[in-house]
Amino acid sequence: MRGEGAVRGEVGEMISKIKEALICLRAGRVTFRYPLAPMPAPKRFRGRPTIDGSKCLGCGACASVCPPRMISMHDADRRRTVELNYSRCTYCARCQEICPVGSMTCTEDFELATKGRENYSVAVELEMVPCRDCGTPFMTQRMLKKMIAEFCPPWMEKRLQAPEWFWLCPDCRIQSTGLTMERNIRNE
Amino acid sequence: MQNLAVGVFNILFVLLAAPLLDGVMRQVKARIHSRQGPSILQTYFDLGKLMVKEDQRAVNNTIFSLAPIVGFAAVLLAALFIPMGGVVPLGFAGDALVLLYVLTMGPICLCLGGMASGSPYAYVGVNREIMMLMLVEPVIAISLIASAVKAHSLMLSDCVRQSLTGTPSSSLLICAVAFFLALQPEMAKIPFDLSEAEQEIMEGPLVEYSGRKLALLKWSFYCKQIVLLTLFVEWFVPWPAVGSLPLRIVLTLVKVLFGAVLVEVIAQVFPRLKIAQSMRYFVSVIAFALTGLMLAVIGL
Amino acid sequence: MTTAENVLSGIQEKFPATLLKAQQPQTDRLYLTVKREEIRPLTDYLFNTLHARLIMSVGTDKTPIDGNYEVSYIYSLDSRNLILLVKELVPPNDPQVPSVTNIIPGANWHEREVYDLLGIKAEGHPDPRRLVVSDDWPEDVYPLRKDVPYNFRPPIVREVKPPLREPNENEKKATILSVGPFFPTLEEPAYFRLFVEGEQIVGSDYRGFFAHRGIEKLTDTVLDYNQIPFMAERICGICGFVHSACYCMAVEQAAGIEVPPRAQYIRSIMMELERVHSHLLWLGLAGHYLGFDTVLMQAWRIREPVMWLVEAITGNRKTYGLNLPGGVRRDLTPELCDQILQTIEKMEKETRELVGAAVEDHTLKMRLENVGRLSPEDARKICVVGPTARASGVDIDTRKDHPYCAFPEVKFKSALQQSCDIWARTLIRAEETFTSFDLIRQLIAKLPPGELMANVGNIPPWREGIGIAEAPRGEVAHYILTGLDNRPYRWRVRAATYPQLQAVPRMLEGMQVADFPIIVGSIDPCFSCTERVVTVDRATKTPRIYTKKDLLAMSRQRTQALR
Repeated sequence: MRGEGAVRGEVGEMISKIKEALICLRAGRVTFRYPLAPMPAPKRFRGRPTIDGSKCLGCGACASVCPPRMISMHDADRRRTVELNYSRCTYCARCQEICPVGSMTCTEDFELATKGRENYSVAVELEMVPCRDCGTPFMTQRMLKKMIAEFCPPWMEKRLQAPEWFWLCPDCRIQSTGLTMERNIRNE
Repeated sequence: MQNLAVGVFNILFVLLAAPLLDGVMRQVKARIHSRQGPSILQTYFDLGKLMVKEDQRAVNNTIFSLAPIVGFAAVLLAALFIPMGGVVPLGFAGDALVLLYVLTMGPICLCLGGMASGSPYAYVGVNREIMMLMLVEPVIAISLIASAVKAHSLMLSDCVRQSLTGTPSSSLLICAVAFFLALQPEMAKIPFDLSEAEQEIMEGPLVEYSGRKLALLKWSFYCKQIVLLTLFVEWFVPWPAVGSLPLRIVLTLVKVLFGAVLVEVIAQVFPRLKIAQSMRYFVSVIAFALTGLMLAVIGL
Repeated sequence: MTTAENVLSGIQEKFPATLLKAQQPQTDRLYLTVKREEIRPLTDYLFNTLHARLIMSVGTDKTPIDGNYEVSYIYSLDSRNLILLVKELVPPNDPQVPSVTNIIPGANWHEREVYDLLGIKAEGHPDPRRLVVSDDWPEDVYPLRKDVPYNFRPPIVREVKPPLREPNENEKKATILSVGPFFPTLEEPAYFRLFVEGEQIVGSDYRGFFAHRGIEKLTDTVLDYNQIPFMAERICGICGFVHSACYCMAVEQAAGIEVPPRAQYIRSIMMELERVHSHLLWLGLAGHYLGFDTVLMQAWRIREPVMWLVEAITGNRKTYGLNLPGGVRRDLTPELCDQILQTIEKMEKETRELVGAAVEDHTLKMRLENVGRLSPEDARKICVVGPTARASGVDIDTRKDHPYCAFPEVKFKSALQQSCDIWARTLIRAEETFTSFDLIRQLIAKLPPGELMANVGNIPPWREGIGIAEAPRGEVAHYILTGLDNRPYRWRVRAATYPQLQAVPRMLEGMQVADFPIIVGSIDPCFSCTERVVTVDRATKTPRIYTKKDLLAMSRQRTQALR
């Protein structure tokens, strides 16, 4: 009723099925028991970002590069608040890449489920420096200190002092520079 | 007296062990998939969860509501006809044919329930189920008749005794193979599970069932699987012969376990076949079973 | 004369009055501006005489700049390594263009999209239904116009009906089977309406874009060049890297940025790793659609090491975050290169075993042969790409036709089959996986030392760039028009699945319901690639709460409406 070719075909089919079953069984069980057993992320995994408040300058570079725009910076009452909200963080680590002082870092943490949305916010408050002329806060203290400390290149023999206009806000700087230029022109 | 005891045992066994057997089959499947898999008690938990889940009441139709119950009752009735340790609880002349009809009632109830639900997916599934039924039931019927011819009786207990004590015959061997091939679609296993419980048509006739009705339907599937496996094992693989009844029952249970593992391994190494392909395949299985019948008629 | 000059002179000769302006910013790019009324004969010449392939069309609203809308058609002359952009200017008081769909059937969706998003009607379009915007979007608001804000919220509409067609003449006796909007097998939002008689499908229609996100609008308004790669990466969950690389290539071309060779090589290596990952994933999915879950589990088990590998390289399993315009952000250290070679050696062995077993599997072949056929003529007319095209004998492969990144420096053979069915597509993807293993080895062996990132200064405005790359699914194309203030003016993405989905109704004809999932699966659909999804609006802080009863009632209502 069935030709010999068909029987050979059937036997060949059975052998290939047995081979398939052996491939499967040889692999053993490959799934892990996570979450019943811990599974840490590998090195350099881009996980939850965090700000180190003791290093943050308040420069706002992170806020300008964040793709979902979840880092915000606003000034109120001589205080600058840098707020990082990672509810919609894309874990791209651009903030870490751009931070000049290494205060913004991506940890390797990825288990971020929480019941309260407020747990997704991290904020740093920084004291600001008021302008010597008009009194508006224009820069954080830490940033100004850093600028002053790094103003003079290390290879110079004579220490350069930071110029006066470091302590002025941008508007007042323009004013002051304008007045200086005017004075110089009049004196010539 | 023995019949009554075996009858009660059968009903309890089918009811309570069916989810366990399904659990074992799921572990076998997971092992082939290289994953951990659920515990073998998982099916009990799943059925329990379905029992307490809300019934969506998507369809308000008497046939829709009664179909799971009648189907479940039919499978339990079939359990009373199944030999266990060689003893058929509800045995009488011609009970083999009655068993055949009772086994068919389950799929018919499913089809009626599916059609009553009104979903186009259910129609497609019912279509397929009926086409498969038309080709698979004859295989079982032919094997049964061949065995009855050899045993010169339509009583199931006689057939079973014949295959145990009678001389090994080629016709019974052919029928055993044919029956085993028919087990895959009857147990709704890949490659022939295309009618019910399938992702292509969103579970087919089951699509509108939920809650308790779905639990009953699934439980009746598991019960049917264990009934068919027991039937196959008792009828076509009755060796070795042992003396006491309890020992015979234990032997049957062990063989049922092996059978389940084998069915599941076959199910996991094949893709699902389409209806036309399955029908072509079963036409040749019917022809194969017919040769067994002819051999039985001429005495081999 | 170069190819571009040849083509240009050919066009000038045949259509002297049509051409308004021609530019050739690079050797393999030709940008033409033509008269709107004469677009049809030119399109006929390009498609039928020059055998160009339509890649995409772009609609731009330049009314604030020069008072016009622009509709551009971008073609590829595959055998000559030339990308041709044909632009027509559309005055705002007469927003329509002549339709070219009856010349190029593959332009069907492109013209509907331009209408949906910009309101420029294609005159003579055979099927002007809504395509991209959702069913409850108001009629006369065109999102990509510059006067519509990116966070515009239309009023709520309760009763909507998706624009799926009713049965036509020869489908009158058929039952309507609705597959979707949520379908368990595909696990993606897609809505197919099948007209079935028994088991056989006699007709079909598709409504998609449920997950349209409006990222192009977001780019035009709030994002800048360095933020977009991260958005582009999330267009697709599987070919994300190719999208971000293609975008960067478009910007680099427009701004004339020279990417250092080491970065080019790293990009190519990551693209090939992504191809391996994607094809193994597809093999598993194909098994799943056939009910063969064992193939699914085993293929994904074999794929897992590549995910660990890229996690070690890039810091994430899938969103690599490696690309920025100008280069890449992380380096491939020698240890990582060793790790790559070890991993792909192991994977190649296991993949050979699995593919060997699958190819010999008679039942699998039974399910896949002669199913979902797409004839070579249809493949060319609908402009399909990738393995779907190569299975129908159309020999196109962006890595060969328009070489990019490090591909000019490596040798490989494109897979090609002639039998036009799903079995052919399976064989092609299997072959491509092995080609990718070989390519990775070649690329690592030749990895040059050097910088990872070019110095990117200000990006000049009003420059156009077109980046194309071969994603695992097929060709992906990004168009960018740079704008003022270092921000892009227009970004258009055409993913590989866009033309493929237009070909699916042809593949479904005469097939059975049981074949439906595997046919849709055989084009390796990436619905999110095609649809470029929804942004969540943070502006309104009021949450909308639906009780379970509400949701249930709404879903029942919806099901009744769909029936």
